[in-house]
Amino acid sequence: MDRILEVIEQKRNNAVFPIVGADHCARLLNLNFSNVVRDGRKLAEVLEYGYNLYGYDMVLVFSDPYVEAQAMGCQIEFTPYPTIVTAQTDKRFDRTPVIIEATKILKQKLDVPIFVSIKGPFSLAAFLVGIDKFLRLLVREENAVKKAIDQVFEFQKNYLSKLLALDANIFLGDPLASASVISPDMFKKYAYQPLKILVDKIKDKGLIAGIHICGDTRPIISMLDSLQTDILSVEDITVATNTTRMGGVSTQTILNGNLSKIRKEVRQAKKGNHIIIATACDVPPKTNPKSIKEMIRYARQEN
Amino acid sequence: MDLDKIKKAIIDMDDSAVKTLVETALKEKVPAQQILQDGLIAGMKEVGRLFTEQVYFVPEVLLASEAFYIGFDIISPLIKLQGEKGKVKVVMCVVEGDIHDIGKNIVKVMFEASGCQVVDLGRNVAVKRIIEAVEKEKPDVLAMSSLMTTTMMSMADVIKELVKRGLRKDLKIIVGGAPVNQEFCNQIGADGYGRDAQEAVQLIERLI
Repeated sequence: MDRILEVIEQKRNNAVFPIVGADHCARLLNLNFSNVVRDGRKLAEVLEYGYNLYGYDMVLVFSDPYVEAQAMGCQIEFTPYPTIVTAQTDKRFDRTPVIIEATKILKQKLDVPIFVSIKGPFSLAAFLVGIDKFLRLLVREENAVKKAIDQVFEFQKNYLSKLLALDANIFLGDPLASASVISPDMFKKYAYQPLKILVDKIKDKGLIAGIHICGDTRPIISMLDSLQTDILSVEDITVATNTTRMGGVSTQTILNGNLSKIRKEVRQAKKGNHIIIATACDVPPKTNPKSIKEMIRYARQEN
Repeated sequence: MDLDKIKKAIIDMDDSAVKTLVETALKEKVPAQQILQDGLIAGMKEVGRLFTEQVYFVPEVLLASEAFYIGFDIISPLIKLQGEKGKVKVVMCVVEGDIHDIGKNIVKVMFEASGCQVVDLGRNVAVKRIIEAVEKEKPDVLAMSSLMTTTMMSMADVIKELVKRGLRKDLKIIVGGAPVNQEFCNQIGADGYGRDAQEAVQLIERLI
Protein backbone atom coordinates (compact mmCIF):
# COMPACT_ATOMS: atom_id res chain seq x y z
CA MET A 1 0.00 0.00 0.00
CA ASP A 2 1.49 3.36 -1.02
CA ARG A 3 0.61 5.55 1.94
CA ILE A 4 2.94 8.31 0.74
CA LEU A 5 1.13 8.66 -2.57
CA GLU A 6 -2.22 8.54 -0.79
CA VAL A 7 -1.20 11.47 1.40
CA ILE A 8 0.04 13.41 -1.62
CA GLU A 9 -3.25 12.71 -3.40
CA GLN A 10 -5.09 13.74 -0.23
CA LYS A 11 -6.77 10.36 0.12
CA ARG A 12 -5.13 9.75 3.47
CA ASN A 13 -4.29 12.15 6.26
CA ASN A 14 -0.89 10.85 7.40
CA ALA A 15 2.02 8.66 6.55
CA VAL A 16 5.20 8.33 8.57
CA PHE A 17 8.90 8.37 7.84
CA PRO A 18 11.50 9.19 10.49
CA ILE A 19 14.31 10.10 8.12
CA VAL A 20 16.43 7.01 8.63
CA GLY A 21 19.60 6.88 6.56
CA ALA A 22 22.31 4.30 6.18
CA ASP A 23 24.43 5.63 9.07
CA HIS A 24 21.85 4.76 11.74
CA CYS A 25 21.15 1.34 10.20
CA ALA A 26 24.86 0.50 9.83
CA ARG A 27 25.38 1.34 13.48
CA LEU A 28 22.58 -1.00 14.53
CA LEU A 29 24.20 -3.76 12.50
CA ASN A 30 27.66 -2.98 13.87
CA LEU A 31 28.98 -2.41 10.37
CA ASN A 32 31.75 0.00 9.46
CA PHE A 33 29.93 2.88 7.82
CA SER A 34 32.79 3.80 5.52
CA ASN A 35 32.62 0.29 4.00
CA VAL A 36 28.86 0.43 3.63
CA VAL A 37 28.94 3.62 1.55
CA ARG A 38 31.33 2.05 -0.97
CA ASP A 39 29.28 -1.06 -1.64
CA GLY A 40 25.82 -0.99 -3.26
CA ARG A 41 24.81 -4.39 -1.90
CA LYS A 42 25.82 -3.50 1.64
CA LEU A 43 24.08 -0.14 1.37
CA ALA A 44 20.89 -1.88 0.21
CA GLU A 45 21.28 -4.44 3.00
CA VAL A 46 21.44 -1.84 5.79
CA LEU A 47 18.55 0.19 4.38
CA GLU A 48 16.47 -2.98 4.00
CA TYR A 49 17.29 -3.85 7.60
CA GLY A 50 16.06 -0.43 8.74
CA TYR A 51 12.85 -0.82 6.78
CA ASN A 52 12.17 -4.31 8.13
CA LEU A 53 12.94 -3.19 11.67
CA TYR A 54 10.73 -0.12 11.67
CA GLY A 55 8.23 -0.59 8.84
CA TYR A 56 7.94 3.08 7.88
CA ASP A 57 6.12 4.19 4.74
CA MET A 58 9.02 4.89 2.38
CA VAL A 59 12.71 4.14 2.04
CA LEU A 60 15.30 6.81 1.35
CA VAL A 61 18.50 5.73 -0.34
CA PHE A 62 20.74 8.08 1.59
CA SER A 63 24.28 7.33 2.65
CA ASP A 64 25.68 10.82 3.22
CA PRO A 65 25.47 14.31 1.70
CA TYR A 66 28.73 14.10 -0.26
CA VAL A 67 28.18 11.41 -2.90
CA GLU A 68 28.07 13.83 -5.85
CA ALA A 69 30.69 16.15 -4.36
CA GLN A 70 33.15 13.27 -4.08
CA ALA A 71 32.34 12.13 -7.61
CA MET A 72 33.25 15.63 -8.78
CA GLY A 73 36.55 15.79 -6.90
CA CYS A 74 35.94 16.86 -3.29
CA GLN A 75 37.97 14.84 -0.82
CA ILE A 76 35.90 13.18 1.87
CA GLU A 77 37.09 11.63 5.12
CA PHE A 78 35.12 9.02 7.02
CA THR A 79 35.72 9.02 10.78
CA PRO A 80 33.47 6.95 10.48
CA TYR A 81 30.93 9.60 9.42
CA PRO A 82 31.87 11.71 6.45
CA THR A 83 33.26 15.20 6.46
CA ILE A 84 34.27 17.15 3.41
CA VAL A 85 37.94 18.07 3.70
CA THR A 86 38.73 19.81 0.44
CA ALA A 87 37.02 21.70 -2.33
CA GLN A 88 37.18 20.26 -5.84
CA THR A 89 40.41 18.50 -6.84
CA ASP A 90 41.37 16.34 -9.83
CA LYS A 91 41.03 13.21 -7.71
CA ARG A 92 37.53 11.86 -8.16
CA PHE A 93 35.86 8.95 -6.47
CA ASP A 94 32.50 8.17 -7.96
CA ARG A 95 30.04 6.51 -5.58
CA THR A 96 26.98 7.23 -7.71
CA PRO A 97 27.11 3.62 -9.05
CA VAL A 98 26.85 2.47 -5.40
CA ILE A 99 23.64 4.48 -4.97
CA ILE A 100 22.31 3.21 -8.29
CA GLU A 101 23.04 -0.41 -7.40
CA ALA A 102 21.42 -0.07 -3.95
CA THR A 103 18.37 1.56 -5.53
CA LYS A 104 17.99 -1.26 -8.05
CA ILE A 105 18.19 -3.90 -5.30
CA LEU A 106 15.76 -2.12 -2.99
CA LYS A 107 13.26 -1.53 -5.78
CA GLN A 108 13.29 -5.24 -6.53
CA LYS A 109 13.02 -6.37 -2.94
CA LEU A 110 10.72 -3.91 -1.18
CA ASP A 111 7.13 -3.08 -1.89
CA VAL A 112 7.33 0.51 -0.69
CA PRO A 113 8.17 3.79 -2.43
CA ILE A 114 11.91 4.12 -2.89
CA PHE A 115 13.34 7.63 -2.91
CA VAL A 116 16.91 8.58 -3.69
CA SER A 117 18.46 11.61 -2.04
CA ILE A 118 20.40 13.91 -4.36
CA LYS A 119 21.88 17.34 -3.76
CA GLY A 120 20.47 20.58 -5.03
CA PRO A 121 22.87 22.27 -7.48
CA PHE A 122 23.34 25.32 -5.23
CA SER A 123 24.64 23.31 -2.27
CA LEU A 124 26.67 21.01 -4.50
CA ALA A 125 28.36 24.01 -6.12
CA ALA A 126 29.17 25.33 -2.64
CA PHE A 127 30.82 22.03 -1.69
CA LEU A 128 32.94 22.09 -4.84
CA VAL A 129 34.06 25.69 -4.55
CA GLY A 130 34.45 25.45 -0.78
CA ILE A 131 31.62 26.78 1.37
CA ASP A 132 33.48 29.82 2.77
CA LYS A 133 34.68 30.91 -0.63
CA PHE A 134 31.32 30.26 -2.24
CA LEU A 135 29.49 32.41 0.30
CA ARG A 136 31.87 35.27 -0.41
CA LEU A 137 31.40 34.89 -4.15
CA LEU A 138 27.64 35.20 -3.71
CA VAL A 139 28.12 38.82 -2.74
CA ARG A 140 31.15 39.67 -4.85
CA GLU A 141 31.31 37.55 -8.02
CA GLU A 142 28.00 36.62 -9.53
CA ASN A 143 29.55 35.10 -12.66
CA ALA A 144 31.79 32.76 -10.70
CA VAL A 145 28.76 31.49 -8.77
CA LYS A 146 26.76 30.95 -11.94
CA LYS A 147 29.68 29.14 -13.55
CA ALA A 148 30.02 26.80 -10.57
CA ILE A 149 26.30 26.06 -10.55
CA ASP A 150 26.28 25.44 -14.31
CA GLN A 151 29.11 22.93 -13.89
CA VAL A 152 27.35 20.89 -11.21
CA PHE A 153 23.98 21.24 -12.88
CA GLU A 154 25.17 19.25 -15.90
CA PHE A 155 26.45 16.53 -13.58
CA GLN A 156 23.20 16.44 -11.61
CA LYS A 157 21.02 16.28 -14.72
CA ASN A 158 23.00 13.28 -15.91
CA TYR A 159 22.88 11.55 -12.51
CA LEU A 160 19.18 12.28 -12.19
CA SER A 161 18.50 10.73 -15.61
CA LYS A 162 20.17 7.50 -14.46
CA LEU A 163 18.03 7.41 -11.33
CA LEU A 164 14.84 8.23 -13.18
CA ALA A 165 15.58 5.37 -15.57
CA LEU A 166 15.22 3.12 -12.50
CA ASP A 167 11.82 4.69 -11.73
CA ALA A 168 13.18 5.98 -8.44
CA ASN A 169 11.43 8.84 -6.67
CA ILE A 170 13.73 11.69 -5.80
CA PHE A 171 14.39 13.83 -2.75
CA LEU A 172 16.40 16.94 -3.47
CA GLY A 173 18.35 18.22 -0.48
CA ASP A 174 19.65 21.79 -0.63
CA PRO A 175 20.85 22.67 2.88
CA LEU A 176 22.84 25.76 1.94
CA ALA A 177 19.88 27.26 0.11
CA SER A 178 18.15 27.65 3.49
CA ALA A 179 17.17 31.12 4.64
CA SER A 180 19.32 30.35 7.70
CA VAL A 181 22.24 30.82 5.30
CA ILE A 182 21.29 32.94 2.29
CA SER A 183 18.75 35.63 1.55
CA PRO A 184 15.52 34.98 -0.34
CA ASP A 185 16.94 37.14 -3.16
CA MET A 186 19.97 34.88 -3.44
CA PHE A 187 17.74 31.82 -3.35
CA LYS A 188 15.71 33.23 -6.21
CA LYS A 189 18.77 34.28 -8.18
CA TYR A 190 20.88 31.14 -7.84
CA ALA A 191 19.10 28.16 -6.28
CA TYR A 192 15.56 28.28 -7.60
CA GLN A 193 15.90 27.75 -11.34
CA PRO A 194 18.19 24.68 -11.28
CA LEU A 195 15.89 23.09 -8.70
CA LYS A 196 12.85 23.85 -10.82
CA ILE A 197 14.35 22.19 -13.88
CA LEU A 198 15.25 19.07 -11.89
CA VAL A 199 11.80 18.92 -10.28
CA ASP A 200 10.13 19.23 -13.69
CA LYS A 201 12.28 16.39 -15.03
CA ILE A 202 11.19 14.15 -12.14
CA LYS A 203 7.54 15.02 -12.55
CA ASP A 204 7.64 14.62 -16.34
CA LYS A 205 8.61 11.02 -15.65
CA GLY A 206 5.57 10.58 -13.39
CA LEU A 207 7.71 10.09 -10.30
CA ILE A 208 7.46 11.75 -6.90
CA ALA A 209 9.65 14.79 -6.27
CA GLY A 210 10.41 15.93 -2.75
CA ILE A 211 12.60 18.72 -1.48
CA HIS A 212 14.29 18.93 1.90
CA ILE A 213 15.74 22.17 3.24
CA CYS A 214 16.75 22.46 6.88
CA GLY A 215 16.70 25.55 9.07
CA ASP A 216 14.55 28.59 8.46
CA THR A 217 12.49 28.28 5.28
CA ARG A 218 9.69 30.71 6.10
CA PRO A 219 11.13 33.59 4.02
CA ILE A 220 11.33 31.33 0.93
CA ILE A 221 8.26 29.19 1.48
CA SER A 222 6.26 30.67 -1.41
CA MET A 223 9.17 29.99 -3.78
CA LEU A 224 9.47 26.43 -2.46
CA ASP A 225 5.76 26.01 -3.04
CA SER A 226 6.06 27.27 -6.59
CA LEU A 227 8.64 24.57 -7.37
CA GLN A 228 5.59 22.30 -7.41
CA THR A 229 7.27 19.36 -5.78
CA ASP A 230 5.01 16.69 -4.32
CA ILE A 231 6.58 16.88 -0.87
CA LEU A 232 8.11 19.73 1.07
CA SER A 233 10.26 18.58 3.98
CA VAL A 234 10.90 21.58 6.24
CA GLU A 235 11.47 22.29 9.90
CA ASP A 236 8.27 24.28 10.45
CA ILE A 237 5.31 22.32 9.11
CA THR A 238 2.77 24.69 10.63
CA VAL A 239 3.36 27.16 7.81
CA ALA A 240 0.63 27.05 5.16
CA THR A 241 1.68 25.56 1.82
CA ASN A 242 0.04 24.14 -1.28
CA THR A 243 2.51 21.27 -1.17
CA THR A 244 2.25 18.19 1.05
CA ARG A 245 4.41 18.88 4.08
CA MET A 246 6.77 16.46 5.74
CA GLY A 247 8.23 16.84 9.22
CA GLY A 248 6.91 17.62 12.68
CA VAL A 249 9.33 15.85 15.01
CA SER A 250 12.49 17.65 15.96
CA THR A 251 15.75 15.80 15.41
CA GLN A 252 16.65 16.62 19.01
CA THR A 253 13.45 15.08 20.30
CA ILE A 254 14.07 11.80 18.54
CA LEU A 255 17.68 11.75 19.72
CA ASN A 256 16.81 12.57 23.33
CA GLY A 257 14.45 9.65 23.49
CA ASN A 258 11.80 11.26 25.67
CA LEU A 259 8.85 9.18 24.48
CA SER A 260 6.14 11.47 25.80
CA LYS A 261 7.75 14.40 23.98
CA ILE A 262 7.91 12.34 20.79
CA ARG A 263 4.20 11.55 21.17
CA LYS A 264 3.42 15.21 21.82
CA GLU A 265 5.18 16.35 18.63
CA VAL A 266 3.56 13.58 16.58
CA ARG A 267 0.15 14.53 18.01
CA GLN A 268 0.79 18.15 17.05
CA ALA A 269 1.87 17.16 13.53
CA LYS A 270 -1.26 15.05 13.09
CA LYS A 271 -3.40 18.13 13.59
CA GLY A 272 -2.34 19.27 10.12
CA ASN A 273 -4.04 17.77 7.09
CA HIS A 274 -2.18 15.51 4.70
CA ILE A 275 1.16 15.43 6.50
CA ILE A 276 3.99 12.96 6.20
CA ILE A 277 5.04 12.79 9.82
CA ALA A 278 8.82 12.82 9.80
CA THR A 279 11.84 14.04 11.65
CA ALA A 280 13.03 17.52 10.73
CA CYS A 281 16.32 16.08 9.46
CA ASP A 282 17.86 12.62 9.24
CA VAL A 283 17.90 10.78 12.55
CA PRO A 284 21.30 10.86 14.26
CA PRO A 285 23.10 7.50 14.13
CA LYS A 286 22.96 7.03 17.91
CA THR A 287 19.17 7.41 18.11
CA ASN A 288 17.57 4.73 20.24
CA PRO A 289 15.42 2.44 18.05
CA LYS A 290 12.72 2.59 20.75
CA SER A 291 12.23 6.27 19.94
CA ILE A 292 11.80 5.61 16.23
CA LYS A 293 9.40 2.73 16.88
CA GLU A 294 7.33 4.87 19.23
CA MET A 295 7.18 7.70 16.71
CA ILE A 296 5.83 5.32 14.06
CA ARG A 297 3.46 3.51 16.43
CA TYR A 298 1.96 6.74 17.66
CA ALA A 299 1.72 8.27 14.18
CA ARG A 300 -0.34 5.30 13.06
CA GLN A 301 -2.50 5.13 16.14
CA GLU A 302 -6.04 6.34 15.57
CA ASN A 303 -6.87 9.15 17.96
CA MET B 1 38.12 61.60 11.78
CA ASP B 2 34.46 60.67 11.78
CA LEU B 3 34.41 57.10 13.11
CA ASP B 4 30.99 56.56 11.58
CA LYS B 5 32.88 56.16 8.30
CA ILE B 6 34.61 53.08 9.71
CA LYS B 7 31.31 51.79 11.02
CA LYS B 8 29.76 52.29 7.57
CA ALA B 9 32.68 50.57 5.83
CA ILE B 10 32.13 47.52 8.08
CA ILE B 11 28.42 47.51 7.28
CA ASP B 12 29.26 47.86 3.58
CA MET B 13 31.74 44.93 3.88
CA ASP B 14 34.37 47.20 2.34
CA ASP B 15 37.67 45.86 3.69
CA SER B 16 39.94 48.18 1.72
CA ALA B 17 38.01 51.22 3.01
CA VAL B 18 38.28 49.86 6.57
CA LYS B 19 42.07 49.55 6.19
CA THR B 20 42.50 53.07 4.82
CA LEU B 21 40.16 54.63 7.36
CA VAL B 22 41.70 52.89 10.39
CA GLU B 23 45.22 53.85 9.27
CA THR B 24 44.09 57.42 8.75
CA ALA B 25 42.43 57.54 12.16
CA LEU B 26 45.63 56.32 13.82
CA LYS B 27 47.67 58.94 11.95
CA GLU B 28 45.23 61.53 13.25
CA LYS B 29 45.98 60.26 16.79
CA VAL B 30 42.51 58.87 17.42
CA PRO B 31 42.98 56.40 20.33
CA ALA B 32 42.92 52.76 19.20
CA GLN B 33 40.31 51.92 21.83
CA GLN B 34 38.00 54.57 20.40
CA ILE B 35 38.51 53.31 16.85
CA LEU B 36 37.63 49.86 18.09
CA GLN B 37 34.54 50.87 20.05
CA ASP B 38 33.02 53.60 17.91
CA GLY B 39 34.13 52.31 14.51
CA LEU B 40 34.71 48.59 14.28
CA ILE B 41 32.50 47.32 17.10
CA ALA B 42 29.74 49.78 16.29
CA GLY B 43 29.83 48.45 12.72
CA MET B 44 29.64 44.83 13.82
CA LYS B 45 26.80 45.58 16.20
CA GLU B 46 24.83 47.03 13.33
CA VAL B 47 25.71 44.00 11.19
CA GLY B 48 24.42 41.80 14.01
CA ARG B 49 21.18 43.76 14.09
CA LEU B 50 20.77 43.47 10.33
CA PHE B 51 21.35 39.72 10.62
CA THR B 52 18.75 39.37 13.36
CA GLU B 53 16.26 41.27 11.22
CA GLN B 54 17.03 39.06 8.21
CA VAL B 55 18.34 41.95 6.14
CA TYR B 56 21.81 40.40 6.17
CA PHE B 57 22.45 36.68 5.90
CA VAL B 58 25.56 34.53 6.41
CA PRO B 59 27.48 35.75 3.29
CA GLU B 60 27.15 39.41 4.29
CA VAL B 61 28.08 38.71 7.93
CA LEU B 62 31.07 36.71 6.78
CA LEU B 63 32.35 39.56 4.61
CA ALA B 64 31.64 42.17 7.29
CA SER B 65 33.58 40.02 9.78
CA GLU B 66 36.54 39.96 7.45
CA ALA B 67 36.40 43.72 7.11
CA PHE B 68 36.29 43.93 10.93
CA TYR B 69 39.45 41.84 11.22
CA ILE B 70 41.29 44.00 8.67
CA GLY B 71 40.82 46.91 11.05
CA PHE B 72 41.14 44.89 14.25
CA ASP B 73 44.50 43.44 13.21
CA ILE B 74 45.88 46.96 12.67
CA ILE B 75 44.84 48.25 16.08
CA SER B 76 44.99 45.13 18.24
CA PRO B 77 48.76 45.44 19.05
CA LEU B 78 48.07 48.92 20.39
CA ILE B 79 45.11 47.74 22.45
CA LYS B 80 47.00 44.78 23.87
CA LEU B 81 49.46 47.22 25.41
CA GLN B 82 46.59 48.35 27.57
CA GLY B 83 46.42 44.80 28.95
CA GLU B 84 44.11 41.81 28.74
CA LYS B 85 43.29 41.85 32.43
CA GLY B 86 39.63 41.95 33.25
CA LYS B 87 38.50 40.58 29.91
CA VAL B 88 36.26 37.54 29.77
CA LYS B 89 38.36 34.71 28.39
CA VAL B 90 36.70 32.33 25.97
CA VAL B 91 38.07 29.09 24.55
CA MET B 92 36.09 28.14 21.46
CA CYS B 93 36.05 25.43 18.82
CA VAL B 94 34.09 23.27 16.42
CA VAL B 95 34.07 19.76 17.84
CA GLU B 96 35.70 16.64 16.44
CA GLY B 97 34.57 15.31 13.06
CA ASP B 98 33.11 18.64 12.01
CA ILE B 99 34.85 21.13 9.79
CA HIS B 100 32.00 23.63 9.41
CA ASP B 101 33.45 26.70 11.07
CA ILE B 102 31.77 29.65 9.36
CA GLY B 103 29.33 30.10 12.24
CA LYS B 104 32.09 29.71 14.82
CA ASN B 105 34.19 32.35 13.06
CA ILE B 106 31.30 34.79 13.03
CA VAL B 107 30.67 34.19 16.74
CA LYS B 108 34.38 34.73 17.37
CA VAL B 109 34.23 38.17 15.74
CA MET B 110 31.24 39.10 17.85
CA PHE B 111 32.98 37.90 21.02
CA GLU B 112 36.08 39.92 20.20
CA ALA B 113 33.97 42.90 19.24
CA SER B 114 32.26 42.70 22.62
CA GLY B 115 35.62 42.73 24.40
CA CYS B 116 36.26 39.05 25.10
CA GLN B 117 39.70 37.52 24.88
CA VAL B 118 39.29 34.56 22.54
CA VAL B 119 41.43 31.44 22.24
CA ASP B 120 40.26 29.83 19.02
CA LEU B 121 41.10 26.12 18.78
CA GLY B 122 39.72 25.92 15.24
CA ARG B 123 37.63 23.14 13.81
CA ASN B 124 37.55 19.34 14.07
CA VAL B 125 39.00 19.57 17.59
CA ALA B 126 39.35 16.34 19.58
CA VAL B 127 37.95 16.05 23.12
CA LYS B 128 41.47 15.62 24.51
CA ARG B 129 42.67 18.87 22.95
CA ILE B 130 39.72 20.81 24.31
CA ILE B 131 40.37 19.48 27.80
CA GLU B 132 44.05 20.39 27.53
CA ALA B 133 43.13 23.91 26.40
CA VAL B 134 40.76 24.37 29.35
CA GLU B 135 43.48 23.18 31.72
CA LYS B 136 46.08 25.47 30.18
CA GLU B 137 44.06 28.61 29.42
CA LYS B 138 41.70 28.51 32.41
CA PRO B 139 38.94 30.31 30.48
CA ASP B 140 35.75 31.75 31.92
CA VAL B 141 33.78 30.28 29.06
CA LEU B 142 34.07 27.27 26.78
CA ALA B 143 32.08 27.73 23.55
CA MET B 144 31.56 24.68 21.34
CA SER B 145 29.68 24.24 18.10
CA SER B 146 28.71 21.55 15.65
CA LEU B 147 26.79 21.63 12.40
CA MET B 148 26.07 17.94 12.13
CA THR B 149 23.92 15.52 14.06
CA THR B 150 26.72 12.97 13.72
CA THR B 151 29.21 15.15 15.60
CA MET B 152 27.15 17.06 18.16
CA MET B 153 27.35 14.34 20.81
CA SER B 154 31.06 15.05 21.07
CA MET B 155 30.09 18.11 23.13
CA ALA B 156 28.56 15.80 25.71
CA ASP B 157 31.81 13.82 25.83
CA VAL B 158 33.75 17.03 26.51
CA ILE B 159 31.47 17.98 29.39
CA LYS B 160 31.66 14.49 30.92
CA GLU B 161 35.45 14.62 30.77
CA LEU B 162 35.55 18.11 32.31
CA VAL B 163 33.36 16.92 35.18
CA LYS B 164 35.55 13.84 35.64
CA ARG B 165 38.67 15.98 35.88
CA GLY B 166 37.13 18.54 38.22
CA LEU B 167 37.36 21.31 35.61
CA ARG B 168 33.65 21.98 35.20
CA LYS B 169 32.83 23.91 38.35
CA ASP B 170 34.21 27.36 37.54
CA LEU B 171 33.63 27.12 33.82
CA LYS B 172 30.60 28.29 31.86
CA ILE B 173 29.89 26.16 28.83
CA ILE B 174 27.88 27.45 25.91
CA VAL B 175 26.91 25.57 22.77
CA GLY B 176 25.61 26.37 19.30
CA GLY B 177 25.25 25.15 15.72
CA ALA B 178 22.44 24.19 13.38
CA PRO B 179 21.29 20.92 15.01
CA VAL B 180 21.76 22.24 18.55
CA ASN B 181 18.94 23.72 20.63
CA GLN B 182 18.10 24.55 24.23
CA GLU B 183 16.89 21.03 24.88
CA PHE B 184 20.18 19.55 23.73
CA CYS B 185 22.03 22.11 25.83
CA ASN B 186 20.07 21.03 28.93
CA GLN B 187 20.50 17.38 28.09
CA ILE B 188 24.28 17.49 27.94
CA GLY B 189 24.60 19.78 30.95
CA ALA B 190 25.84 22.94 29.24
CA ASP B 191 25.05 26.35 30.72
CA GLY B 192 23.58 28.03 27.69
CA TYR B 193 22.62 27.83 24.04
CA GLY B 194 22.94 30.65 21.53
CA ARG B 195 20.91 30.51 18.33
CA ASP B 196 23.24 32.95 16.59
CA ALA B 197 26.22 35.20 17.21
CA GLN B 198 24.15 37.95 18.80
CA GLU B 199 22.56 35.53 21.23
CA ALA B 200 25.94 34.02 22.06
CA VAL B 201 27.25 37.42 23.10
CA GLN B 202 24.14 38.10 25.19
CA LEU B 203 24.55 34.68 26.76
CA ILE B 204 28.07 35.46 27.93
CA GLU B 205 26.93 38.80 29.30
CA ARG B 206 24.23 36.98 31.25
CA LEU B 207 26.38 34.11 32.50
CA ILE B 208 29.48 36.01 33.57
